[in-house]
Amino acid sequence: MKVTAQPSADTLTLLLDGELDASSAIVLDTELAKPDILNYRKVLVDCAKLSYISSAGLGVFISHLQRFQDANVKLVFFNMQEKVFNVFEILGLDALMTIVPSAAEAEAA
Amino acid sequence: MPLTALSWLLLLLSALSHSGAGSWLGVWPQWATQLAQGAFVLGVFLLYRYHRSPLQGQAFVRLLKQLLLGPGLLALVCIGLHLFERLLEPDAGAGKASILFTSVYTVNLALFVIFLARTNYAWRALVLFRSTPRLQREWTIFEVLLGATLLFRLVGVNPPNYLTYPLMAGLGLFGVYLSGHQKWVAYLSQREKWRAVAFQAGLLFSLLVFVQYFRVTQVDPQLIAPQPQYAFLLLTAFFSAFYALMGLLVTFFNMPIADVIEQRRNEILRLQRLTQIIQRGQTTTEVYRILLESAVQTAQADAAWLDLDPVHAGIDAADATQYYNFTQAQADAMRPRLQGHELPEGEHITNDLHTRAGFEGPAQLYRSLLQLPLRGLHFNYGMLYLLKTEPHTFDREDLSILQTFTSQAVLSIENLELVRTSLANQRTQEELKIASQVQDSLIPKNLPTDNWFDISSHSLAAKEVGGDFYDFLHLQGRRLAVIIGDVSGKGVTAAFHMAQMKGIFHSLMQENPLAKNERDKFPVPSKFMAQANTALTHCLEKSSFITSSLYIIDYEQGGFVFARAGHCHTLYYHALREEVFYFESQGLGLGIIRNESYEKHIKNQFYDYSPGDVMVIYTDGIVEARGGDGTEEYGEDRLKLRLEESYFQEAEEIKNFILDDLNSFTHGHPIHDDQTLLVIKFKSAQPLPLA
Repeated sequence: MKVTAQPSADTLTLLLDGELDASSAIVLDTELAKPDILNYRKVLVDCAKLSYISSAGLGVFISHLQRFQDANVKLVFFNMQEKVFNVFEILGLDALMTIVPSAAEAEAA
Repeated sequence: MPLTALSWLLLLLSALSHSGAGSWLGVWPQWATQLAQGAFVLGVFLLYRYHRSPLQGQAFVRLLKQLLLGPGLLALVCIGLHLFERLLEPDAGAGKASILFTSVYTVNLALFVIFLARTNYAWRALVLFRSTPRLQREWTIFEVLLGATLLFRLVGVNPPNYLTYPLMAGLGLFGVYLSGHQKWVAYLSQREKWRAVAFQAGLLFSLLVFVQYFRVTQVDPQLIAPQPQYAFLLLTAFFSAFYALMGLLVTFFNMPIADVIEQRRNEILRLQRLTQIIQRGQTTTEVYRILLESAVQTAQADAAWLDLDPVHAGIDAADATQYYNFTQAQADAMRPRLQGHELPEGEHITNDLHTRAGFEGPAQLYRSLLQLPLRGLHFNYGMLYLLKTEPHTFDREDLSILQTFTSQAVLSIENLELVRTSLANQRTQEELKIASQVQDSLIPKNLPTDNWFDISSHSLAAKEVGGDFYDFLHLQGRRLAVIIGDVSGKGVTAAFHMAQMKGIFHSLMQENPLAKNERDKFPVPSKFMAQANTALTHCLEKSSFITSSLYIIDYEQGGFVFARAGHCHTLYYHALREEVFYFESQGLGLGIIRNESYEKHIKNQFYDYSPGDVMVIYTDGIVEARGGDGTEEYGEDRLKLRLEESYFQEAEEIKNFILDDLNSFTHGHPIHDDQTLLVIKFKSAQPLPLA
């Protein structure tokens, strides 16, 4: 699992590469827990190369969800593989989080 | 023994007959004397040959002592007899020996033979001490050759000198070669060596006395008796003397290196002691104490101290420093001076502290310093410091032997640590086993049975305890509540939340006595989920969540209502339509939103069932089980296909059919998530009317 952060003016794009399981969830959690992440208007998560997400991986996003909402930072997922989307959907997260098909839509969101 | 005594008696008589003193005996033939002599010598030697080995264990000095005090004293007796005879008959006539003279001579000859035999076989024990089989063969050859020389005289063969001398010289050289085997000397301690030297000198002296006596009597005109077995006696006497001389020299020249050997032996003994401590399971403090003690003794240090790291060394801070002939104040004064000069390798010898930077100022009492870290696998346990008052007194040898000591000590410590850890691990394992048993008791063993449905269940935890759960509860009014759930994560944390969820299920599914109508006595599934979500708000950590589905089956009406809180979709076989499908319904997992707004995210779904319908309820451990190349998942599609193939069977058979397929799919891969599978088949039989 590799997490690459690409900051721009008011947007932070996180590229996830690999499987997000209990061990790699820590890496992502460190990234999302940084205080200055709340200075951005939007945090875009590029899931093109995310091949698997475990409940521990979902737990990381869930645990930061409220914090992002409170700080008015928009969390947008895009380029999600069907298999991964399925996991979000089953848990009901698709109704709670913004998941869009492409980068362009993510920019617009 | 009696034969030997008899042969000596014959020898005496024959000697007397020759001397003329015993004229009443007549004159015996020459060969009789020779035979008696030969038989006596042979008898004595054979007697000692088969006698118990004079060497007991490694009591070399005792052997030498017995040799000197036994046969050695015979020499004194010999002299005494000789002087006694001279005193009685000072002027015996020439050519005519007295009975006394002849008797004394014969007795002395016997004593000499006994002395030689004893000595010879004592030497044999020493030569053959820790010997090789080859040396043992060589010794046997030596004995046989010596025995053969006895025959020379016996059979009256008198080989010419040019043959005799080289033969004798050859045998002599053989004896010299055998005298080179002085292995036993190495096993003597310093004090024993001095005693050994003294005893061997004494032996040589007694031998000399004997030889001198025979040299004198040989030329004595009174001696008419035939000459003794020269070749044999000469050779054995030579060998006895040479071995004693060699032994003496070897022992003597061994003296200077003896203390080095002794020191090495002590080092080995100390190392052994350190090793034994592990087996006896002593404390770490004791290991460090013995290390310091052994190091001081081995290096002969004047003072020493051991600084330990209380974090790693496994001892109390109070015991973190151990001193030998050194005070805390001295160590405190020394430490800051050393610290500025820590060497990268750790171990180091300072030959003269007076010349070392940082040690200027008041002169030090100690001038040589040896410092050595206690190196462990991952970290250093501490540092050992040895001090001597004289400069240039530690060498690389000291350092290398001390390194063996420290690594042995570290090994002991690490072993003790391992034992401790494994004991603790064992306890944890025991406790996990108990936790597993407790959790097992939380899973219903007796499935509800009735004639309108058929239930079969399976659950398997990836670790000792897991986060999957399911339960049943009969509700009033012919209703059955079925719940399934999965706590995010695995292991003990998940198991705790699973137990919590079971508690929530049983407390929320209590009949509400204030309910106005029958339907409101129990919460509908969506209401239950909302209440459970609220209950979990304060007991679930932030990143954890629970997925669950609750079904309330009303078998009077032939229908059920359920809510899915983020749990896997329910797989269903519809008998009338002959169709297998997944229920598509919305619903958010528990613990994701922790406020009132959760209720908006959970829906109830109603469904009427007909006989023959099959419901398959499971956790994600089933559909996400890995197989194939390790990344492929079992998947919902495959599960659906299996139900299409088996819906007509009984619930138990359907479950087994699915599990067999799952197991062949995951074969060779470890299960990485808890697995739960419930199969419910509705039957056509009508429930019994209420009593």
